[in-house]
Amino acid sequence: MRNLKQICWPGAGGDLSKEKKRLPLIWLGTNTCDGDSISFLNSADPNFMEIVTVLFDFRYLHFVMAAQGDMSTSVLDDTLAQDPGNFILVVEGTVPTRNNGLYCVIGTRGGKPLTALEAVQEFGAAARCVVAAGTCAAFGGPYAAHPNPSESKPVSEVLDRAVINVPGCPVHPAWIAGTLIHLAWYGEPELDDFHRPLIFYGETIHNMCQRRHYFDSGIFAAQPGDPWCTYRIGCKGPVTFADCPSRQWNSEHVSWPVKAGTPCIGCVNPGFPERDMPFFKHLPDVNLPGVTVNANRIGAIAATVTALGIGGHFTAGVLKGRMSKKIRKALHPPGTGFELLETTPAAELLSRIRKALLDKTKE
Amino acid sequence: MRFRNNLLGIRIKGVKTFRHNRPLRVMHWVLAPAALSLMASGLYINKPYRNFLFKNMNDARKTHFMAQYFFGLYFLARGYYAIKTRGYRKLFPNSGDIASLPKFSLYELYLNKKQPKYPKYNPLQKLLFIFFAVLFPLQIVTGSALYSTGRLQFLSRPFGGLGNTRTVHYLGAVGLMSLVAGHMYFALTESFSKLKSIFNGYFTPK
Repeated sequence: MRNLKQICWPGAGGDLSKEKKRLPLIWLGTNTCDGDSISFLNSADPNFMEIVTVLFDFRYLHFVMAAQGDMSTSVLDDTLAQDPGNFILVVEGTVPTRNNGLYCVIGTRGGKPLTALEAVQEFGAAARCVVAAGTCAAFGGPYAAHPNPSESKPVSEVLDRAVINVPGCPVHPAWIAGTLIHLAWYGEPELDDFHRPLIFYGETIHNMCQRRHYFDSGIFAAQPGDPWCTYRIGCKGPVTFADCPSRQWNSEHVSWPVKAGTPCIGCVNPGFPERDMPFFKHLPDVNLPGVTVNANRIGAIAATVTALGIGGHFTAGVLKGRMSKKIRKALHPPGTGFELLETTPAAELLSRIRKALLDKTKE
Repeated sequence: MRFRNNLLGIRIKGVKTFRHNRPLRVMHWVLAPAALSLMASGLYINKPYRNFLFKNMNDARKTHFMAQYFFGLYFLARGYYAIKTRGYRKLFPNSGDIASLPKFSLYELYLNKKQPKYPKYNPLQKLLFIFFAVLFPLQIVTGSALYSTGRLQFLSRPFGGLGNTRTVHYLGAVGLMSLVAGHMYFALTESFSKLKSIFNGYFTPK
């Protein structure tokens, strides 16, 4: 398999030093576990050193920089003043909006707290492009899950501009590195309807899965660890767009969840994790007013209610003699006479006559 | 000219009466096997058990995908026919049907012995058609998004992603299956004469 360098720079033969363009880059961490930063550090080819020293003018990455306080936030202000409209902004994590964003303070500026909301809106408006790294920044993720006390939102909902979503929990190092490099050297990559780069999120995991033939043949794993298709134990591969089966994980591209015997949990999906849980069930739980119930349970309840309704109606029909009457009616030749049809002029007229007679009787 | 046996709301008993014309019957019998195949294969796809109804997942999926085209064609044809012949006026409830609904419900709940008669469809059937009119396109849209995941990805966007689309598709199918079960129960037990009309077009009021 070709590495990211060879894919992105075929002309340079994978030699990064032949490219000179280095865009300023700011990586802000908001409500995040920093898993995306750690994953990014695991980038193998190009590695983190090449990304920082050769590819980008990395100005700010909260997770690895030594500076703190005003010294670190002054870098942000300097970038804003010197390179407006030229730098790339990467946001990792959701943005809390409750109490003007005070639920997440990323630093201080002039002795005052700099909230994530303020920073993302200010730097996002001036950036050349905005990238949401990880599912939290792209779609909300666990921080925006119900009941969402901090009223957290994905980056696209606090900015009045297009955002490139690079989801994943965590984001694959090649997905984020590839997107950033594509942005710097070739401009915006082709995006899908959820603003994800198609080069990484163009096909479902299910369609690329090594165990797909087991799915088609109906050979399913009964528990994690079984070497068969994990569909029946909740694999979200059929509804998840990502290239995990071909790219694989663990820095050196050696494995991925299904290969390791556990179902895909759909971590790049909008609504993750709420809409993918329980992870080991085929369908997710559904939040109804006052109660959370699995979608399959709703199906079972609906089937039971329908069976009881039909069974009850049929039994009542038999007990009341209506069923036997209908059978007798069906077996006998038709009688003669007339019948009045409801919702017709004749029925209307009869109803009026009845009402007039009733009124007269009352008088 | 077929005898519809309805003079301003008066119907003569014992006379062969026209009820369903040929296009409607053909469409109904395209829909019925397609819908039943979709339900059976859909249930298997949702919870696959080997050698139950289908040999394997591939067979279930092929059945589902083949039946979906018939279902989609039915929906387009039925929609066109309803608009062209203005048949939608008879399909959906009007104010008279809503006013008559309590009377019909009392009969179906065995609280009233006298069965109200209607020109073609009773108010509950018309309510059923409203659900069909909502659920059929919903199933087609969500099913299309799941069928062609890449090309028709835009269809899953209003539902918040493919995972949610699948859940909506399943819940829509559950609703439809319950309604179809009810429809089949009433069709088989209400009147044998009317049941015959979906095959040959005619019934005889008794």
